[in-house]
Amino acid sequence: MTLRAKEWLAVGLSAAALLLGVGVGSVWIPPGDVVGILGHKLFHTALPGGITDISVNILWKLRMPRALLAFLVGAGLSASGAVMQSVLKNPLASSYTLGVSSGASLGAALVIFLGISLPGLSLFTLPVMGFVFGLGTILLAMAVASRLDGRMENNTVILIGIVFSLFTNAVTMLMSALAKEQMQQLIFWQMGSFSMKDWSAVLILAPITMTGIVLMVRCHRELDMMTFGEEQAQSMGVPLKRMKWFMLILTAALTGSAVAFAGIIGFVDLIAPHVARKLFGSSHRRMVPMAAMIGGLFMVLCDLLARTVLSPQELPVGVVTALIGGPFFAYVYFRRRTGRSA
Amino acid sequence: MLELRDVSAGYGEGDVVRGVSLTLAANETLCIIGPNGCGKTTLLKAIANLLPFRGDILLHGKPLRSMNPQAIARSVALLSQSSGVYFSYSVEETVMMGRYAHRTGLWGQPSRQDREVVERCLAAVDLLPEKSREISRLSGGQLQRVFLARTLAQDPEIILLDEPTNHLDFKYQAELIHYLRRWRKQEGRSVIGVLHDVNLALSLADRVMLMREGQAVALGPTAETLTRSALRQVFQADVAGYMLDTLRRWEEVAE
Repeated sequence: MTLRAKEWLAVGLSAAALLLGVGVGSVWIPPGDVVGILGHKLFHTALPGGITDISVNILWKLRMPRALLAFLVGAGLSASGAVMQSVLKNPLASSYTLGVSSGASLGAALVIFLGISLPGLSLFTLPVMGFVFGLGTILLAMAVASRLDGRMENNTVILIGIVFSLFTNAVTMLMSALAKEQMQQLIFWQMGSFSMKDWSAVLILAPITMTGIVLMVRCHRELDMMTFGEEQAQSMGVPLKRMKWFMLILTAALTGSAVAFAGIIGFVDLIAPHVARKLFGSSHRRMVPMAAMIGGLFMVLCDLLARTVLSPQELPVGVVTALIGGPFFAYVYFRRRTGRSA
Repeated sequence: MLELRDVSAGYGEGDVVRGVSLTLAANETLCIIGPNGCGKTTLLKAIANLLPFRGDILLHGKPLRSMNPQAIARSVALLSQSSGVYFSYSVEETVMMGRYAHRTGLWGQPSRQDREVVERCLAAVDLLPEKSREISRLSGGQLQRVFLARTLAQDPEIILLDEPTNHLDFKYQAELIHYLRRWRKQEGRSVIGVLHDVNLALSLADRVMLMREGQAVALGPTAETLTRSALRQVFQADVAGYMLDTLRRWEEVAE
């Protein structure tokens, strides 16, 4: 299959996953009705007969923003994961490794435990604080790394990131231990969920995610070269330190905003880039958008499972991504390795 | 073309290179020879602007410090010893990376000239038929040839060699030097080489610089500078005597 055909297949599968994501639930909405309702809402076409207002409301007000948010979060996390792996030349790196999630957790813990409500933001206080603390942690970690090692070598960046990550985790745990009543609320937030999200979350996250991905693709040549090592990239003309800072901030912003709206969802940022590299090659021009597409698709399906498997009870989506993603990743990764050594 | 004036450089805990001065003319090959830790690689990194340095490094009279990374990359390219490949690219994609410093435009799509240069560089190392192969599937020798082609695609005036033949079998070492020599002859460019193997340096260099403890102890034409006593002084061992002894043994080995 040609690369172009694979790209169209990924687009088609993503569209199918979204149709499935908005169609399946306690009330089944067939794909034909979904298209009819979307046409009615987006292009003001006549609503096909037999579609009830309840179906329209369920699809437009509940499932559509939820599925789109899941897609955006999956896409943002996966594109960030792909870029971090390349920048740090480490196939297991992600912006989570560098403290975004633990920083965001600390921000969320402060909101939950201290009952903070930012003026004018009310319901958005939790995501805003999550974003600010997630981004703040990684920026602080990088500032320290830069101070300790002027060249900001990868090992320094990763180690300082881990130190900050562990430290902020410890502060969050300390707060949890001191305020047991709110602990459950924090744990639930940390496990990740797309429930109770409306269009406002989508409208905020969509421009951030799309701009971030476009900027990452714009730097595809620099990212390609950085996978060969810092000195190699620099000797080919890449302004290394500036590029590294730019990418770290970009990935932190994307991950931070995703975490802020959906909580901490692991594994997708690790799996999607590896699958994208396997299917589309390592060139970032193609790999980053395709990792985003695969991550979005995966997240929509995981969310679908999370809300339907034990319906009416809902599972945390982070649990589903790890339960499916772990074995899947091991299968993909080790099958390739054993295939090679055979 | 290249001039170093009293250059010192290191990694933050004292200088590894101390007060080195040299000049390099166009179409000249200079090899830097010395024991492990004498500062050869550090000096190369300073010339490639990968390390902060004191003193002056001038390219056509212009201070290296005042040039941006892309401008430096258009003049100076570095070929290091082959490192592992973390993420795989095709041979052609890898060599195209060498064109980074020459490409313009917002999305940096390769121009027809970029494609022509890449084809020429692949042909120069006899890898044109392999251009669609994944580099993760190449042998160590082939991979190093891909990196040489990428260095040539940078179209630099000076190539810096940082022990590029390390970990390569004899056949691949000889091949790499052969391609490099051929390129030098055709393009008339300059090379500064750090080669662990004194024999390879001897076969490649117009001039040599002997280094010990971060300082240049001798600099001059190869035949006059690479003497037995100079090598003994630098390596604290009779290098030439050892080579001659080995040569005698080879002469006794049957065909």
